[in-house]
Amino acid sequence: MNILADILSATIVFMIPLLLVALGGMFSERSGVVNIALEGIMIIGALFSCLFLRYMDASGFGPAHPQWAMFFAILVAGLTGAIFSLLLAFASVNLKADQTIGGTALNMLAPAFAIVLTWAIQGQGQTTILIPTWARITQETLGIPVKDTFLQAFVFKSFYQTSIWAVFIFIIASIVLYKTRFGLRLRACGEHPQAADSVGVNVYRMRYSGVFISGLLGGIGGLAYTLAAGSAFQSTVAGYGFLALAVMIFGNWKPLNILGASLFFALFKILGSYSGSIPFLPKFDNIKASEYIYLMLPYIVTMIVLILTSKKSRAPKAEGIPYDKGRR
Amino acid sequence: MGEQKKRSLRIPGSTSILASLISIGVGLIVGLVLLYVLNAKAAGGAFISLITTGFRSSDKFAKVLYQAAPLIMTGLSVGFAFKTGLFNIGATGQYTIGAAFALIGAIQFQLPWYVCLLLALIGGAIWGIFPGLFKALFNVNEVITSIMFNWIAMFAVNLTINNLPMMLAKYWGGAQMDRTANLADANPGALIPRLGLDVLMKSNYMNISIFIAIAFALIAWIILSKTTFGYELKACGYNRNASVYAGINAKRNIVLSMVISGAFAGVGGGLYFLAGTGQYTLLKQLLTAGFNGIPVALLATSNPIGTIFSAFFVSYIQVGGDAMQPDFVKEIIDIIISVIIYLAAFALLTRELLTRGKQRRQDAALEAAAAPAPEAKDEVK
Amino acid sequence: MNEYVIEMLNITKEFPGIRANDDITLRLRRGEIHALLGENGAGKSTLMSVLFGLYQPEKGTIKKDGEIVHIKGPNEANALNIGMVHQHFKLVEVFTVLENIILGVEPNKFGFLEKKEARKKVVALSERYGLKIDPDALIENISVGMQQRVEILKMLYRDNDILIFDEPTAVLTPQEIDELMQIMRSFAAEGKSILFITHKLNEIMAVADRCTVLRKGKCIGTVDVKDTDKASLSRMMVGRDVEFEVTKGETKLGDTVLEVKNLTVPSKLHKNNAVKDVSFRVRAGEIVCLAGIEGNGQTECVYALTGLEKPSAGEVSLMGNPIVFVAPKREKQPASALKGAKTVLMPIRQRSKLGMSHIPEDRQKFGLVLDYSLEENLVLQRYWEPTFQKNGFIRKQDVRQYAEKLIKQYDIRSGQGPITSARSMSGGNQQKAIVAREMDKNPNLLVAVQPTRGLDVGAIEYIHKQLVAARDNGKAVFLVSLELDEVMNVSDRILVMYEGEIVGEFDPKKTTVEELGLYMAGAKKQAAERTVH
Repeated sequence: MNILADILSATIVFMIPLLLVALGGMFSERSGVVNIALEGIMIIGALFSCLFLRYMDASGFGPAHPQWAMFFAILVAGLTGAIFSLLLAFASVNLKADQTIGGTALNMLAPAFAIVLTWAIQGQGQTTILIPTWARITQETLGIPVKDTFLQAFVFKSFYQTSIWAVFIFIIASIVLYKTRFGLRLRACGEHPQAADSVGVNVYRMRYSGVFISGLLGGIGGLAYTLAAGSAFQSTVAGYGFLALAVMIFGNWKPLNILGASLFFALFKILGSYSGSIPFLPKFDNIKASEYIYLMLPYIVTMIVLILTSKKSRAPKAEGIPYDKGRR
Repeated sequence: MGEQKKRSLRIPGSTSILASLISIGVGLIVGLVLLYVLNAKAAGGAFISLITTGFRSSDKFAKVLYQAAPLIMTGLSVGFAFKTGLFNIGATGQYTIGAAFALIGAIQFQLPWYVCLLLALIGGAIWGIFPGLFKALFNVNEVITSIMFNWIAMFAVNLTINNLPMMLAKYWGGAQMDRTANLADANPGALIPRLGLDVLMKSNYMNISIFIAIAFALIAWIILSKTTFGYELKACGYNRNASVYAGINAKRNIVLSMVISGAFAGVGGGLYFLAGTGQYTLLKQLLTAGFNGIPVALLATSNPIGTIFSAFFVSYIQVGGDAMQPDFVKEIIDIIISVIIYLAAFALLTRELLTRGKQRRQDAALEAAAAPAPEAKDEVK
Repeated sequence: MNEYVIEMLNITKEFPGIRANDDITLRLRRGEIHALLGENGAGKSTLMSVLFGLYQPEKGTIKKDGEIVHIKGPNEANALNIGMVHQHFKLVEVFTVLENIILGVEPNKFGFLEKKEARKKVVALSERYGLKIDPDALIENISVGMQQRVEILKMLYRDNDILIFDEPTAVLTPQEIDELMQIMRSFAAEGKSILFITHKLNEIMAVADRCTVLRKGKCIGTVDVKDTDKASLSRMMVGRDVEFEVTKGETKLGDTVLEVKNLTVPSKLHKNNAVKDVSFRVRAGEIVCLAGIEGNGQTECVYALTGLEKPSAGEVSLMGNPIVFVAPKREKQPASALKGAKTVLMPIRQRSKLGMSHIPEDRQKFGLVLDYSLEENLVLQRYWEPTFQKNGFIRKQDVRQYAEKLIKQYDIRSGQGPITSARSMSGGNQQKAIVAREMDKNPNLLVAVQPTRGLDVGAIEYIHKQLVAARDNGKAVFLVSLELDEVMNVSDRILVMYEGEIVGEFDPKKTTVEELGLYMAGAKKQAAERTVH
């Protein structure tokens, strides 16, 4: 019973960062900018928010008001991610640079920067940032008694504020994209920027917004990942940024599909990690280190699903193409 | 990815050398500033270390050279793909597979080094087929395929090595469970020959890999500039429409180009792991070697001969970066390199913009007038 | 003084090397339908782009209701109630009709879209003017005619009352054209003023009040449509004395080199076919010219012949060899009657080897690899021949010699000779390089589309000489040209294409430019038997 709770809980916990970052990528690409730099953005967001958490811890504010501290940390994660993403926006929109090169540069910059900064702040050899334990939401935080129920095991295994925010963000993102003026214009810029321009929409500004939002969500996603992955920030998100891109493509750039896709992926990833404990999964006893089979699983399954669904895949038509006002 | 997206990847002419040098210069300045910010006292000395260590002693220089060899290969890989209009973000996976094939050949099958290198080439080539193939057959985005295959490669290799017990260090008397055997113990015949260079340069690890890499660079250069095949590849990359007009089979060329690109990356993996400098550790993180090929290719503007120099440069500052420790973390070098990439993308854009601007005006002029009216006409006899 | 709602006075618009609009004055009356007529390159689109703010004129002023205005972009144009329906629609395919209409002026409450009101207004407008649309249909699913109506509604929704249409009927079926004209009349009746760019005389006569004719950037004049006729308009549009003659001897016509039967090519822009059941042939020793205003299917026809596009039906054979065979769908015959129904689409390289050469219309898209050097471009069609390569290695010396030969022969000017980057060459010299390359192949069939575009007198003269020489040597030349001078002087036979069909065949010695103009503008059409040769 507890295994099931563990698995479900872990799935949700790993789904959250994928969802957040994929939604962020969606905003960027829907506006017309391919954002390969999600990996780097996640790292930056995680870096600064974890540093902030340590600062909160040291200053005593954290233990006293843990969830407030956490809230501010989330803001920090989002804002730093957004600012970092402006570098990509600048290169892509103003300089009209190749968006994959710009993104790759930022992906290299982020982990290196993270290591240098943590080393500078924490001293030599200390490139890991520990996350204070008060950040987690436990039964105690909510003031309910600890009981050995399935529900409690499920909810409280690894419960952080980011999960709550993720739900709101998902809802808000869906509404913004489809029900607001901003969302309409954003989508127009990613499909047919000339049409948008001809009716007075500022394509450059829209694309900046799209990238900015992807930075915001990517940064928060980075924090969510770090919380999910364990107790410390280690200057890496292990390729999650790229996985989120796959989720976004698999989700056909639509919020609801992205939700489904991220759940799907997280499930496979968790199945991989827990493969030993799940009774009905094949064990591959004669194969050593069979955990690698399960570790490969999300990626292989991704490929299979992409192969099957890519015929219908429809990227925003104008993504990756720098918009040039002079060209009519 | 469409025609227009590729435009900024190809670069005309010699002003791009200037652009690369400027990128390098600015990158180094940024590095210097960073050093000062972190530790003003040690900054000056560290920067000098950075700039001069590579030449300080022959064993350091040797290190620059043998570290440059795999960089040349991954740079060639990325650059060759760039030249044909593709972005090979899967170089890491191809590198990994290449390394695995080489090591398996070396340790499991006890083959000599040149066969192992050949296996590395084949392994990388095979891995390079997938992105292009899946794009052509199933319309799957090639960037995602490449990324997925990077990870699949890593896990597949880990799985395979774990199931070939001979591969692990333990089998050969080593202590660790998580890495392959030291080639010196397992199969010295698989080590890339030293030819006395190690003694000459007083370095334990110097071997002929740099020459092998240079040879491949020359081969790449010959293919691209002297063969009809290279002519076709570049035409496809520069202008897909015109290559169709000229009867060139664009799809086939794209797949071939990725195969060659993968082969180069694979050899890179082979060169690194057959050197004996390190064993293949069964990590859960992607090797960064493949990604380091990107700045190398960009700085060289995808020119194979230029790649030799840019790989040398990157390796040089990496050696310098090591020497900056313990005052500074070596990741500072990565920061410098990423700034250089960012700027390189910018620099080639300025040039692009200038050319495109002129082009646009010419186009507009032509559109506005289908054919100009000759003002005065003479009788033509 | 407000008879005129818009006055464009002495507008001059220049681009490097060309004066697209030269001191043009155009006055639009309130409530009139005013046509803008001219051949390609006359400057009509440029002039309207100036009005809509896409370009800024070097000289001249624009007045609205008697007051000078400065229109710096589409937003300002809109603010002045000027709207434009472009030739290439600016619609977002994945949005609905309603979303496209309101984009940019969305009614909203704190940023949230309020589609209900907009929908009401759109439906009301649609009913009032008879513009049938479905507000919730996706653009990618609706017909081109409906897409155009969406563009029109965009203008009406924004209360535009000066409406510019750029070649609106190019993509419509005859029925849709009638509907559009009805709509335009009702707009005019309400006091809206319409400018529409066209080259189709029928339509001008049917719906316009006045017509301004442009030729080569200059305004030839403005006439009242009721006081003129198609012949006069045609004369104004193209009328000029034929200015130089190419000396041409008689040749003996040889065998058929190119045979085209029932060629039908779909259009990428609209659901009609671009080329409709066209048949013709070109014999050795003759120059056949396909004349017509741009956009009537010539491009698609050539692409089908050269292999750049796939026809949906038809047969093409070169030197007796079938290079294209596509059986039309929906055969009424039983299966047994379909003999040899296998589709043939010979690859481009093979067509080239059979002796087909192609000077393409779009030299930068197809004709050249701009990042290659001049010499690399000159061997683009032949690099694989044993002359130029051995065992896969390029014979650089031979390539260089060949390039130098062509450079000298065709007077191709470039900064650094054979190693010059094609991108840095002038348009005219780029064209010369392509012509040199294609003609030096000594093809059996030379397909030349606008071969003298961008060239000076001397170069044009040389190319024409070469075309005639090829024909004298027993080759077949299929020329597509927009320049009537060239058409009249160079060709032995003229086929006029209008809306995808061959509407007339002429002997240049026996016809006039004005007559050609009538056919090109769709005013006349020869009986069917006469057009298949």
